[in-house]
Amino acid sequence: MALYCYITFSTTHYALRAEALLKNSPLEYKMVPVPRSISSSCGIALRCLCPDRPQVERLLKENGVETEGSYEIEEKDFSLPRLFSKKEGPAHEQ
Amino acid sequence: MNSELNLYFDNAATSWPKPEPVYGAAERCLRGSWGNPGRSGHTRTLEADRLVYRARETLARFFHIADPGRIVFALNATDALNMAIKGLLEAGDHVLYTAMDHNSVLRPLGGLRRAGLISTTMIPCSPEGYPDLDFMERSFQRRTRLLVINHASNVLGTILPLKEMATAAHRHGVAVLVDASQSAGAVPVDLAAAPVDMLAFTGHKGLLGPPGTGGLYVRPGLDLKPWREGGTGSHSEMDLHPETMPERLEAGTLNSPGLAGLIEGIKFIEETGLDKIRAHEVTLRKRLRRKLEEIKGVTVYGPADDDRCTAVLSFTLEGVDCGELGYILESSFGIICRTGLHCAPLAHQAAGTFPQGTVRLSPGYFTSDKDVDYLAGAVAEISAFTRAR
Repeated sequence: MALYCYITFSTTHYALRAEALLKNSPLEYKMVPVPRSISSSCGIALRCLCPDRPQVERLLKENGVETEGSYEIEEKDFSLPRLFSKKEGPAHEQ
Repeated sequence: MNSELNLYFDNAATSWPKPEPVYGAAERCLRGSWGNPGRSGHTRTLEADRLVYRARETLARFFHIADPGRIVFALNATDALNMAIKGLLEAGDHVLYTAMDHNSVLRPLGGLRRAGLISTTMIPCSPEGYPDLDFMERSFQRRTRLLVINHASNVLGTILPLKEMATAAHRHGVAVLVDASQSAGAVPVDLAAAPVDMLAFTGHKGLLGPPGTGGLYVRPGLDLKPWREGGTGSHSEMDLHPETMPERLEAGTLNSPGLAGLIEGIKFIEETGLDKIRAHEVTLRKRLRRKLEEIKGVTVYGPADDDRCTAVLSFTLEGVDCGELGYILESSFGIICRTGLHCAPLAHQAAGTFPQGTVRLSPGYFTSDKDVDYLAGAVAEISAFTRAR
């Protein structure tokens, strides 16, 4: 479990502009589906490390990328390996 | 007939062939099982999102538009022009347009006028297709909201004085809508040098992309009423269409394979150089006009100054109906061109070719001098045959 910062956007277009800007920066980031615990206008969020958040937000602001919100949340375990393990796999695979 | 020749002279309708990477990009997009742009956040959707984003960026770079988010995709230029006209105008507005406009402008305006919502004034044009700018200057009214400019005529090849007209309109506080269907990819369309309020373009002509890839640029600060509402993948809880651009004017699934091809079409133009494409097309028009003018019974229309035109040339042959001439050119010589009124009846009235129309020849970057010579030879043969008949 790790603490991540999620930044959301009102349009996919801004999410993709954010991605393009971060790609050319040394900052660590990932484009991820918006976690259901957050309400957002578009389906993609930018996830970055919490200590980088001010830098990321400054970069976006300087380049005219409008953000909707930013949230610090514990990383959820998306992979759910238990459900898909051989031992306990779906019925049709057995 | 020579199979080595490119006898396709209808690039003003849709360009052919496309640069090789255009075909490949569209196919890869279809085969790659990319997701629906904007819908959900899985990796395939993200790939499609990136593609749409790249398409917007590519167009913004090409037209010198500062914010790619102000470009919305549409079915084609007609769709974009409808979006602009119906999204901007309100009851009581007055609109100026020119005789060079296409039915994609004339009909939406005509519909609104017949419904009693707007009034319009047509700016007449010379037989060469140049608008009467003094008439335009006198025609701005208190309620004039919009000036529509067809950047280049699809009948005569005339390039209209975009900057001069836009400057005049802005001086009167009137918004400018440019129809760049024939000019984009043929001549520079630089919105940084000539700011306009809206620009409609199509992807399948001079931009060398697939059909179904038009769009509209709307300047920052200008909010259009959406004329199509529905799914955007964003703000899904709302029962009203979102107001954020570009989704504001984009509802429903986008044509991602088409946009993938369009990106490659524009990249081809940028890598080749628009100057080089333009120079070749001017040379072709010059040669075409010179060769046709030598033929007995041929009348060529539009400006004689080829340097100021796109590669579009209209002509008629005395004693032969233009529809019949087009048929003979294809059936006996394998030449593809378009005949008739070309969806621009007022342009033909200005040129003096209404209602009979013309034969329109529109070579492209992949047309050679040899192709032009073959075509001129065919017309000469038909002319000689007709006179002997």
